[in-house]
Amino acid sequence: MILAKRIFNAFITIVLIMALNFALFRIMPGDPAVFMTPRSQHTSDATYWRNVEIMGLNKSYPEQFVDYFVDTLTLDWGLSYDTEEPVMDIMDDAILWTLLLMGTSLFFTFVIGVALGKIAARRRGKAADLSITGFGLFFYGMPIFWFGILLMVIFVGNLHLLPAAGYTDSGTTLKPFTFGALLEILEHLVLPVATLTIGSVAGVTLIMRNSLVDVLTEDYIVTAYAKGLSPAQVMRRHASPNARLPIVTTLAMDTAFILGGVFQIEVVFTYKGIGWYTWMAIQNKDYPMLQFIFFIGGVAVVIANLLADLVLVKLDPRVKIT
Amino acid sequence: MRFEVFLPRVARRAFGFKPVLADKLALFFRDAGRSTDLFLGSWMGKSGLLIIGFFLFVATYASLLMPYDINAGSGDLLQGSSSEHIFGTDHIGRDVLTRTAHGTWPSLTVGFVAMAISMGLGTLVGLASGYWGGWKDEVIMRVNDMFLSIPWLVLMMVIASIWGSRDLSSVIVVIGVTGWSTTARIVRAQVLTLKERQFVERAKAIGSGDWHIIRRHIFPNVVPLIFANAILTIAIAILSESTLSFLGLGPQEVDTWGKILEDAYRASAMLAGPYPFIIMPGLCIVFVVLGFTFVGYAMDEVLNPKLRKR
Repeated sequence: MILAKRIFNAFITIVLIMALNFALFRIMPGDPAVFMTPRSQHTSDATYWRNVEIMGLNKSYPEQFVDYFVDTLTLDWGLSYDTEEPVMDIMDDAILWTLLLMGTSLFFTFVIGVALGKIAARRRGKAADLSITGFGLFFYGMPIFWFGILLMVIFVGNLHLLPAAGYTDSGTTLKPFTFGALLEILEHLVLPVATLTIGSVAGVTLIMRNSLVDVLTEDYIVTAYAKGLSPAQVMRRHASPNARLPIVTTLAMDTAFILGGVFQIEVVFTYKGIGWYTWMAIQNKDYPMLQFIFFIGGVAVVIANLLADLVLVKLDPRVKIT
Repeated sequence: MRFEVFLPRVARRAFGFKPVLADKLALFFRDAGRSTDLFLGSWMGKSGLLIIGFFLFVATYASLLMPYDINAGSGDLLQGSSSEHIFGTDHIGRDVLTRTAHGTWPSLTVGFVAMAISMGLGTLVGLASGYWGGWKDEVIMRVNDMFLSIPWLVLMMVIASIWGSRDLSSVIVVIGVTGWSTTARIVRAQVLTLKERQFVERAKAIGSGDWHIIRRHIFPNVVPLIFANAILTIAIAILSESTLSFLGLGPQEVDTWGKILEDAYRASAMLAGPYPFIIMPGLCIVFVVLGFTFVGYAMDEVLNPKLRKR
C-alpha cells in the first residue's frame, strides 16, 4: 500500500519534471524556428514558416503542452537544432558511454570508500583516521573539473602515459568488437574514472566511518565478541553489513550530484556522453537536446531513489517503507 | 540554573533582571562557553577556523599585501613562476598571485550570499510545508522532489543560459535558487517532529497564533539543525560558481577564482603552462571549501549532540 504511494509520488515527480521542462524551454530567449533556419540570404520566409509548422510553434501553449506530453510518452524527442538528426539517434550511444563511466566510478568509489571507512572507524581518533578523513575531505572539496585538468597535466601533458580525450582513439571502430578496442576503451577510462573516484570517495568513507562507529557500540557486537569471534570476523559478519546500509540511501539521494560530477568530467576529457552533449547543446541553444537531457536526468534520479528504497528493504528486514 | 543566583541581590534589583531573561542569558552563556570549548576541542573546528580566518584576512588586506596593482599588466604574458612573479602572469600579463588574492573577496561573497538565499528559501518552504501539513505539504513536497531530482548542474546551466546576464549578482541568484531543496527537506522533517511536542501543544492550548508558534517555538529549534548545513552550503556555492565559470556561464566582469580558472582554461594553460595560473585559483577554492567543510562538520557535532561521539 505504502509502496503504491511511493510509486505514485515518483510518477507525480516525473510529470512535474515534464511540466517544468516544457515551461523552462518556452521561456528561453530566442525563436527556435530562427535557429533552425539557415542564415543565408537565399532562404526564403517559407523555410522559416515550414519550421514553425514542424515545431508546432503556431499553436497555442495548451495545445503545445499536450503535443509535448504525447511526444514524450511516445519517446519522440524531435530533431536536434544543430544537426537536424533525431535526438534519440544522437543520444542512445551517449547514454551508454555515460552509464559506463558512471557505473565504473561508482563501483570503485563504493569499494574503496567502504574499505577506507572501516580502517578509519577501527582506528578512530588515531593518525590513520585523521589522515583518511582529512585527505578525503581535501579531495572531496576539489572542483572536480579542476582535479581532472590537474591529472591531465600530470599524466598526459608531462608523463605521456595515458590518452587525453575521447573514449577511444579516433578512427577506431567499435562495430566488429575486438580485444584491441576493449583495451583502448579501458585505457581511455582510466583518467576519468580515477578523477571521479578520488574526488568522491570521501562521501562514502565518512558515512561508512560514522555509521560503523555507531554500529560498533551496539549490544549485538558485544555479544559477537563474547561468542569468541575475532575482530575481523565481527567486522565482516556483524558490523560491516549493517554499517553499509546508509550508503545505499545516500548514494541514491546524491545521484543528481554524482551526475553533475560525471558531466564535468566528460567536458574536461571530451568524453562524448550525455554531459558533453549537454555542454554543446547549451552553447548551440539546442532545445530538443536539452529537453531530453533534462528529462532523462530527472527520471534517472527518481528511479534511483525508488530502487534504493526497494534494495534497502531487501537488505535490512527492519526497514519499512514510510 | 538561574543566572540571578550569581548576582548579589542588590545588583539584581539594580539591573532589574527579569527572571525569564536572566534564565535565557544564563543558558546562552553556559551553552556558548561549552559549545566553544567543544568546537575548538575538535581538530576540524580548529583547522577550519584557521583556514577561513586566513582567507578573510587576505580578502580584507589584499591590496596592501600584494606587491602589484591588480590592473597593472607587465609586458610578459603567460610567464611561469619567476622571482618577480612568484606564481607567474596571466594571459594579459597580470600577476597571478595578486589576481588570486583579489579574487578572494568576490568568491567569498558568492558563497555567503548564495548561502543566505538558499537557506532563506529552504527554511521558509520547509517551515510552511511542515507546519501546514495536509495537501499543501503534499504539493510543496512534490515540487521539492522535482527540484531534488533534476540534475543540479543541468538545471543551473539552463537557468544561467536563460537568464543570459553574466554579472555577479545574477550568478549568485542562480546558485541560490537551485540549492534550497535539501534544506527545505531537513527543516520540514524537523518541524514535523517539533509540531507533536508538548510545548507546541501548550502554546496552541493557551491560544497562540500560528505565526507566534513558528517564530518562538519552532524556528529556534530548527536553527541548530540548519546552521551546520548553512556553512556546508557556502562551500557548495563556491564550488558551483567555479563550475559555472568553467562551463563559460560564470560572472564575466568580476574576478572570482572561477573566472581566473576560466581564463587559464581559455588560454590553454593546462597544455603548455604556465601551470601556476591554473593551479593557484583552484588550490584556493580547495582550501576555502575544506575550511568551511571542517567548520560545518565540527559545528554539527557540537550543535546536534545526537551525533556526538560516544
